[in-house]
Amino acid sequence: MGLLAALFITPQVSVVNAASTEVQRSPAVDVQLLTAENSIASGASSISAGLAISLADGWKTYWRSPGEVGLPPEVDFTGSENVANASIIWPAPERFTAFGIQNFGYSGEVVLPLSIALEHPGEAVNLTAHVQLLVCSDVCVPLDFTFLLNIPAGISEEAPLIDRDAADQIATYAARVPSEVPSNFVSNIEAYIDENAQTLTVFSRGGDVFQAPDIFPEMGGYTAFGAPDIRVGSRGTSVWAQFPILALDPDSTDVAITLTDGDSAATLAATLVDAPIPAPFNLQVEQTSFAALAWIGLFAILGGLILNVMPCVLPVLSIKLASVVSGKSKTQGEIRGSFLASAFGVMAFMWFLAAVTFGLQQIGFTVGWGLQFQNPGFLALMVVILSVFAANMLGLFEIALSSRLQTRMAASGSRGGYAGDFATGAFAAVLATPCSAPFLGTAIAFALTGRAIDIAVVFTGLGLGLALPYFIVAAYPRVAQMMPKPGRWMVIVKVVLGALLLVTAAWLIWVLSGVAGSTATFVTVGLTLALIALICVKRIPDLPKWAGIVVLATAPIVAAGQFADRNAVDLAAIETEWTVFDRAAIARHVSQGDVVFIDVTADWCLTCQANKLLVLDRDPVVSALASNGVITMRADWTRPSEDISRYLASFGRYGIPFNAVYGPGAPDGIVLSELLSAEAVLQALSDAAVRDVAIGN
Amino acid sequence: MEVLTRRTLLVAAGLSGTAYAGFKVLPLAFPPSVDFTALDDPPGFRAVGGGDFSSGSFNAFVGLDGNDTEVEEQLVSEQDVRADLCGALYGTFDPDSSQIPIAAFSDYYCPFCRVQTRNLAALAERNIDEIAIKWHELPLLGDASEAAARAALAAGRQGRYAEFQESLIRTPFVANDGYIEALAESIGVDHDQLLRDIASETLTRELQTTSMLARVFGFVGTPAMVIGRTVVVGQISDRQLFSIVEAERAENWTAVC
Repeated sequence: MGLLAALFITPQVSVVNAASTEVQRSPAVDVQLLTAENSIASGASSISAGLAISLADGWKTYWRSPGEVGLPPEVDFTGSENVANASIIWPAPERFTAFGIQNFGYSGEVVLPLSIALEHPGEAVNLTAHVQLLVCSDVCVPLDFTFLLNIPAGISEEAPLIDRDAADQIATYAARVPSEVPSNFVSNIEAYIDENAQTLTVFSRGGDVFQAPDIFPEMGGYTAFGAPDIRVGSRGTSVWAQFPILALDPDSTDVAITLTDGDSAATLAATLVDAPIPAPFNLQVEQTSFAALAWIGLFAILGGLILNVMPCVLPVLSIKLASVVSGKSKTQGEIRGSFLASAFGVMAFMWFLAAVTFGLQQIGFTVGWGLQFQNPGFLALMVVILSVFAANMLGLFEIALSSRLQTRMAASGSRGGYAGDFATGAFAAVLATPCSAPFLGTAIAFALTGRAIDIAVVFTGLGLGLALPYFIVAAYPRVAQMMPKPGRWMVIVKVVLGALLLVTAAWLIWVLSGVAGSTATFVTVGLTLALIALICVKRIPDLPKWAGIVVLATAPIVAAGQFADRNAVDLAAIETEWTVFDRAAIARHVSQGDVVFIDVTADWCLTCQANKLLVLDRDPVVSALASNGVITMRADWTRPSEDISRYLASFGRYGIPFNAVYGPGAPDGIVLSELLSAEAVLQALSDAAVRDVAIGN
Repeated sequence: MEVLTRRTLLVAAGLSGTAYAGFKVLPLAFPPSVDFTALDDPPGFRAVGGGDFSSGSFNAFVGLDGNDTEVEEQLVSEQDVRADLCGALYGTFDPDSSQIPIAAFSDYYCPFCRVQTRNLAALAERNIDEIAIKWHELPLLGDASEAAARAALAAGRQGRYAEFQESLIRTPFVANDGYIEALAESIGVDHDQLLRDIASETLTRELQTTSMLARVFGFVGTPAMVIGRTVVVGQISDRQLFSIVEAERAENWTAVC
């Protein structure tokens, strides 16, 4: 009988008497209609069917809520015989974030179970299923399929009542349909929508421990949510998530939440609460062993030590050393004391940073390492201090105040001196911040995602590393006394140090113009020059002179902020080679077989400038980057940017320089070290370019 | 949390040691930028293999049916479009202009279309001397797509196409009458005029021209592009796009018109 029936072939589709139709194929997807029943048992009022979808690599189809955009599959049984109604029962979806768009759906193999109620229980069913399926890769192709499937009534001789294979396939995916009743997995879900309808916060306690939960909220026809921030509570028994609301359906107030975790899934109507739901105290972090902590501490110390030879720290260290060789014969004890004070200044600043980091972590901010250099007021203050120092070094004026104060200090014990040394140390640490040397990024990332103890270890390590030279001098003051005797060379040293300070000041001015625009820069420079001039002029009575100095020294800090041009054009030298960073475009280029080189940089980042000068803008790297099939993207972090911060955070990095290479051989990116070498860049480029599998049709 | 170990440091050192050798083979690792394949139909045009399939291997294109069962009258035939392919693709264009025209076909309900539309709009703005975009609405994905496409074209009649397009691709939406009205108000187009244009015959003609173009070029999905005389389905990099633009300029694409 079945064979005969199979001979009735319509132009399009064959009518099949079996538990499944033939597979209909297209380059993107193969589709087949299955039923568990070979025949309808007497009295049966419904049948189980399934739409088996097999998607080719890179293709997706959608869930009942497709996410930001897309369309769910539709099955229409119009024209069928003995079908009262039919509906798709949706298995739990996966989340796709392609091209920066959130979509929910299926890839690879999926069977959408269909529940079909019969009009006349126990009688034969002739199914005519019109399937509309939107499948997308980087192209969206809408597809139509028509399936015909006849299921006779009664028990047949040849076939068992149930087709075991088809029933298994349908059952496998029916098991993935989220449960709609409270269970041990999840019994209650709370939801809170803030008063401006900007965010949806979801909270649920589970019966077991959550591993890697995902959450899909639904709220009416066209409410859409952005990328979620999902956090598992400290013991893993609760999950908290927050979604930006991109668009709100004004007609809907009910929130349905689908919560998935591995093979478990539930869809529940959320209980709307009136009060904000606080995030769990800690981000989920892996418990770190003591050994790991020791390593981290060691790297932090190493990172801090390296900071000492960075151009933005060296001048300060130089000043300090210059103070030792400035001809004043100090006793060993004094030298020891002053260097210890400096060391504690460094440590104090680092501990202050630790406290700030801890505070920020509690508020849930991610802190950008070196971000204080993006504040025009802070920059202006730095410019003033460094310019005055440089002018002093170059002999424009003697800091009369300094000698007077030192005399006073000598008179009133050396406490003032130590306070000055302490400040010098703190100053050195502050200046070190934009130089994110190797391991520093790692250490800070670790600190931000870690516990309080981690933060303490990291910053103490950084402080110890940065203060190491001071500690050495404190322990062996001889080291400082091994300095040559004062003489003519002192003048040269002073000029060289002054020039160093001047270069640093000039660099800060350049950064300021990048951050705050030209007006603020001119005002700052003008006020600074006026201040130096005022200091140099000798014949002004003390009181007005000091008043003027105080005014002129503080004015730039205020003025820089006041005159800051929020829309100043970035000073970054625009080379045609570098395209603007676009995170969404990376995947697109990679899927085209291109290699993408990412450079995150900022005017205030000295290491970045060094990388540019020594590696990126020189052969062989510059020609490798210019070759066909290499896309170069530059992200400018001179001004704070949420997008760039988030991108860095996705690699667990919070400082720059940051470089990564993507390609067919490295779709998730190869992260390069902070100090680039030509070899490492070329290696990464060639690694990323190699396709492990040639794509064929 | 990754912790650097001595081993990874050693491995890194080893890698950079061998890197110089890797550099020697590096130029060989990059494929040539663009491969053209001549099309039999329409003659004179050629295709670039964007995406991972050739359009011919899909069944003849149908599109998702809406619930509208009424068949609209065919105002534009395939012959009309073939008679003036360049006019249908690019509207009015100056063959001597330095701008290479790009016909961009998209649908508001297709995820990658949004990405490509944003990207193309930005490219066109930055490279005003090199490329000119003619947007084509190809609403393949049912009634809501159709409604959005009509509303956008109608907004274009009032000179607000770009703003309308931007709003539509920025947010998820159901293009029902209420939404269209709110959107019209927010970007300052006259709602009554918009409704008149949405229902107008010229607009239907425009949509049918686009769908006939899709038939002529065998587009089974969105997004798709025709750059000069080169057909692109799916994704290409900006760099590839500009190398096609350069090729079109060098080879006088207007020969197909």
